[in-house]
Amino acid sequence: MSIVPKETIEVIAQSIGIANLSPDVALALAPDVEYRLREIMQEAIKCMRHSKRTILTADDVDSALSLRNIEPIYGFASGDPLRFKRAVGHKDLFYIDDRDVDFREVIDAPLPKAPLDTAVVAHWLAIEGVQPAIPENSPVEAIVAPSENKKSDNSKEDGLHVDLKLPVKHVLSRELQLYFDKITELTVTRPESILFKEALLSLAADSGIHPLVPYFSYFIADEVARSLNDLPILFALMRVVRSLLQNPHIHIEPYLHQLMPSIITCVVAKRLGSRIADSHWELRDFSANLAASVCRRYGHVYHNLQSRLTKTLINAFLDPSKALTQHYGAIQGLAALGPGVVRLLVLPNLEPYLQLLEPEMQLEKQKNEMKRKEAWRVYGALLCAAGKCLYDRLKLFPGLLSPPKHKVWRSNGRVATSTLNKRKPSTIHSMQQPPFKKMAVDGAIGTMTTGSQGAEDRFPTQSSGAGMGQSSAAGQVSVEAIGGRRAPTGSAVLAQAWKEDLDAGHLLASLYQLFGEGVLSFIQPVEMSFFV
Amino acid sequence: MEEEEIQKAVVAYLRKKGFTNTELALQEEQNRVSFSSNSDHSVSRLENGPVRYSDGYSKLRLWAYSSLDLYKHELLRVLFPVYIHCFMDLVAGGHVHEARIFFHTFREDHESMHLRDLQKLEGILSPLHLEEIELSRSFRQNKFKIKMCEYSYDLLLQYLQKTQSFTMRGVINEHIDFEVSPGQPTLSSGDADFVTIEGRKNDLARQINQKEIHWGLLEDSLEQHLERPVSDSEKAEILIPVNSLIQKRPLDGGKQGIPVKMVKKDKLVSMVGKNVRSETSAVSVAPRVKPELTLPATLVEVEQAILEDLRSRVQLNNLALPSISFYTFINTCNRLNCSSISQDGSLVAGGFSDSSLKVVWDISTIGQLVKTSSLQGEKESAKNENFPATEERRKPYTLFHGHSGPVYSTTFSPFGEFLLSSSSDSTIRLWSTKLNTNLVCYKGHNYPVWDVQFSPVGHYFASSSHDRTARIWSMERIQPLRIMAGHLSDVDCVQWHANCNYIATGSSDKTVRLWDVQSGECVRIFIGHRSMILSLAMSPDGRYMASGDEDGTIMMWDLSSGRCVSPLVGHSSCVWTLAFSCEGTLLASGSADCTVKLWDVTASTRASRMESKSSSSNRLRLLKALPTKSTPVYTLQFSRRNLLFAAGALSKCS
Repeated sequence: MSIVPKETIEVIAQSIGIANLSPDVALALAPDVEYRLREIMQEAIKCMRHSKRTILTADDVDSALSLRNIEPIYGFASGDPLRFKRAVGHKDLFYIDDRDVDFREVIDAPLPKAPLDTAVVAHWLAIEGVQPAIPENSPVEAIVAPSENKKSDNSKEDGLHVDLKLPVKHVLSRELQLYFDKITELTVTRPESILFKEALLSLAADSGIHPLVPYFSYFIADEVARSLNDLPILFALMRVVRSLLQNPHIHIEPYLHQLMPSIITCVVAKRLGSRIADSHWELRDFSANLAASVCRRYGHVYHNLQSRLTKTLINAFLDPSKALTQHYGAIQGLAALGPGVVRLLVLPNLEPYLQLLEPEMQLEKQKNEMKRKEAWRVYGALLCAAGKCLYDRLKLFPGLLSPPKHKVWRSNGRVATSTLNKRKPSTIHSMQQPPFKKMAVDGAIGTMTTGSQGAEDRFPTQSSGAGMGQSSAAGQVSVEAIGGRRAPTGSAVLAQAWKEDLDAGHLLASLYQLFGEGVLSFIQPVEMSFFV
Repeated sequence: MEEEEIQKAVVAYLRKKGFTNTELALQEEQNRVSFSSNSDHSVSRLENGPVRYSDGYSKLRLWAYSSLDLYKHELLRVLFPVYIHCFMDLVAGGHVHEARIFFHTFREDHESMHLRDLQKLEGILSPLHLEEIELSRSFRQNKFKIKMCEYSYDLLLQYLQKTQSFTMRGVINEHIDFEVSPGQPTLSSGDADFVTIEGRKNDLARQINQKEIHWGLLEDSLEQHLERPVSDSEKAEILIPVNSLIQKRPLDGGKQGIPVKMVKKDKLVSMVGKNVRSETSAVSVAPRVKPELTLPATLVEVEQAILEDLRSRVQLNNLALPSISFYTFINTCNRLNCSSISQDGSLVAGGFSDSSLKVVWDISTIGQLVKTSSLQGEKESAKNENFPATEERRKPYTLFHGHSGPVYSTTFSPFGEFLLSSSSDSTIRLWSTKLNTNLVCYKGHNYPVWDVQFSPVGHYFASSSHDRTARIWSMERIQPLRIMAGHLSDVDCVQWHANCNYIATGSSDKTVRLWDVQSGECVRIFIGHRSMILSLAMSPDGRYMASGDEDGTIMMWDLSSGRCVSPLVGHSSCVWTLAFSCEGTLLASGSADCTVKLWDVTASTRASRMESKSSSSNRLRLLKALPTKSTPVYTLQFSRRNLLFAAGALSKCS
């Protein structure tokens, strides 16, 4: 009944030389022992509280015992928490590991280092209620708004304004300087080492490096400009940027203006790296994603951030005099900003651009293999961007391609694959563009006014020759399917739905027409099954 | 026979008139009478007692939990007292094993509200222990008081009558007083207010709390000195050329470790603030009081210095928060027990568990080092940094040896020339910071002295101890002047009232008491905390008191009424220290959860004056939480200029 079993009492009795303790006595003593234990612990907790601690130590128990005029238990006082070990074979029996200490060892051992002496250091926990971001303070999540307010307050007081800029230079402690030197050295000399990876982790998580941010941003800008020919360094620099952006404790916004040009450089530079074999494509992709993530995170603070970025990128994209590598970077950059941007900025220019790209990709027109490869890269990037955009659209209308008539699809699909197996469809497609557009409009009108039958009939017949109308028909037919279902819910909703669906349908159609079946891989699996 | 006749007539009368409540009450009363007359028999019935208790309780519990939602929370309040007393009855009856089982079966229900009480009661294993534990004694001797609405009360009575469970009825009758209020049931929030231990202790408290107390400030205080010239020559004051002030400032500013820039700004603010203060002081209409103790005379220079400080005080309010300078003790190996900071922040003392006392000097230079290296680019930085380099060999602190046990508390005299320390060796020692030596050893307590505090004017000090007393001393006598006895457990902390006529003590018995220094009488008892009280602070206007406990709750008390103005909830661990800003608008609290929190006092007291008890206003009052880097905050001290100093020992979380 008490947590101290009477067997324990008997064992203790034996250990102090009382051999024949009657069981009744043990039974009576057990609860009292438990009570006394609790009493001592209660006093020990008091002592702990007055020592301003929240962890009970052996010292506290000793003081509690001395409060009750009991001899303290010797041998347990130590600064460290006691390490208990589980006795082998028992579930809840523990003992303290107490090793034998050989005197000789102790005497021979060199003197241990003297422990550091107690000292007091002072720092500002808060200045007028605002915590300064110094290493002594715990990291604060949002140091942005109030500190800025305060600055503006201070600057109102005349005469004091000048002092305000000064602190930045003085903040850097020796440790921080060492840290900075080490990191920059690693970045430039050994970007492949494991140590550098550790450094990146530290950059991404450390709370005390805020004072270094201006130095890092300057270093990155400087180094990117200097080592455009050195791909590994560029990559390392971009990784550093990413780590800095990830760090939740630093306040990087004031330095974005310095970082963004470097990032964009790594996206759309004409030449990155010195050797042909260098995989500068990866760097472009990486930096493009980086730029996009900056836009996503700080876009709401700086409204013109994204617009400036897209302007730079679209300029690079639409300028035929720029190199293909630059085009590639621009496309990746835009694609990373999301399907919305692609739909708005890339797709309208897709057709003329592909016409431009076409000759570069063909063996007979572009003799330089290097150039041709680049052109195919760009083509791939475009396809990917457009495809993602399409995927995104289609996702909005999951019912879009639900199959009203399986047979039609099968046959059309077969036609499509057979015709498009040849790898030069774009010329034909672009030639046939105008009639198709008209047709699509026709179809739309047809479906809206006359109903389903007419349009459905007209489409396959008109487009079967080229084998490309099927995808537009996909849009159309499914529109009908949806329209048919929704008919009773009201004409306004219906019209809206049709319009949206038609958009997606058109998109698919024109993309298919431009890219061939490559684009089909971006349609969700469910729909895919109808096509292939 | 006649009696029965009368009773019948009465019942019939009540029934006729429709006084059903009265009728029930009457029947209840009769039952009680009959029960108490039967109590002799009940002893014999205890054979099957244990089962009746747990059965009765579980039935009551089931019924309370399944009652109507509207009245449920009121009925649930009954459960805890019944639970406790059932358990104690069982123990008292010798059914220890059954009591254990009963205790653990229903323990979970009450853990959230009464964890600490349960922990204490858990240890009770024999009838003897009941006598030994204060808590159980106080439960036994006093009655719980439960407020509930009429209908809930009726429901309870009906239940008790219907089920014929005499045990439960007996427990309820014996140990619970109902305060039945007409109308709707009260809101379910704030259960604590409705279940209180009533009885002798509370009667006593009520009685005591009716005594008159004069919480006004001392007449002829320095603050008044200050205010008078201000109101007289308000314009002249403002016209003082700013230049002259700035010239004076760097000297003091350097000493206090305040950046020059800040002080200048403080200056401007305080100019504006002064008008505000004179208004507020007009609002608080407490008559000034004469000191009961003979106060030591203050030196003219000291007075001048204080006046200077008061003049350059920053006005703090919920918009203008203080700057906080934090002194971190490093390499303490968890041995730092307490620390204190002198009024001007230039001295820091730490009491250690190895009986030593370390007084750190030159905090001004330490402060300056930090300042110059990280905050302020001053020209003198180069010069200053040369200084410690030459003196680095010297220890940065003075070691005071003398105690023979862990030092639990230290306090600086108001002007920093003396230091008091209290220790587990049951002595208090007075040290001189000028001579670096021990002056006096005060022996009087019989057990460890938990806390010692200088009075606001110096010379006198108060101590509190494990021997359940608080004592008042004067520096020149080695015997205490007064002994305040009355607490039921350790007196854990002590604090002087602003006018030096009262001291407040916080105890492990979860009460705070206010004592008259002159008569040594207890003049107020503040009941409401749920765990031991660790820190106390008095507002500078003398009207309010704040107390912080082990659970992290801070309570603000109105001294004149003895009521809790409002609980301030926010800390998650022990509140080690509390401090009011000099004009009393802010309360700072430091806690083991490694934060300093700033609370708006004006809002909280105003809200209570308007008697708006909505919980939303409760939340509003936390102005700011400032986390430290794994440093529990041991002490807080507002300087006369309203710069907040804080100290703590860096404890690495393992």
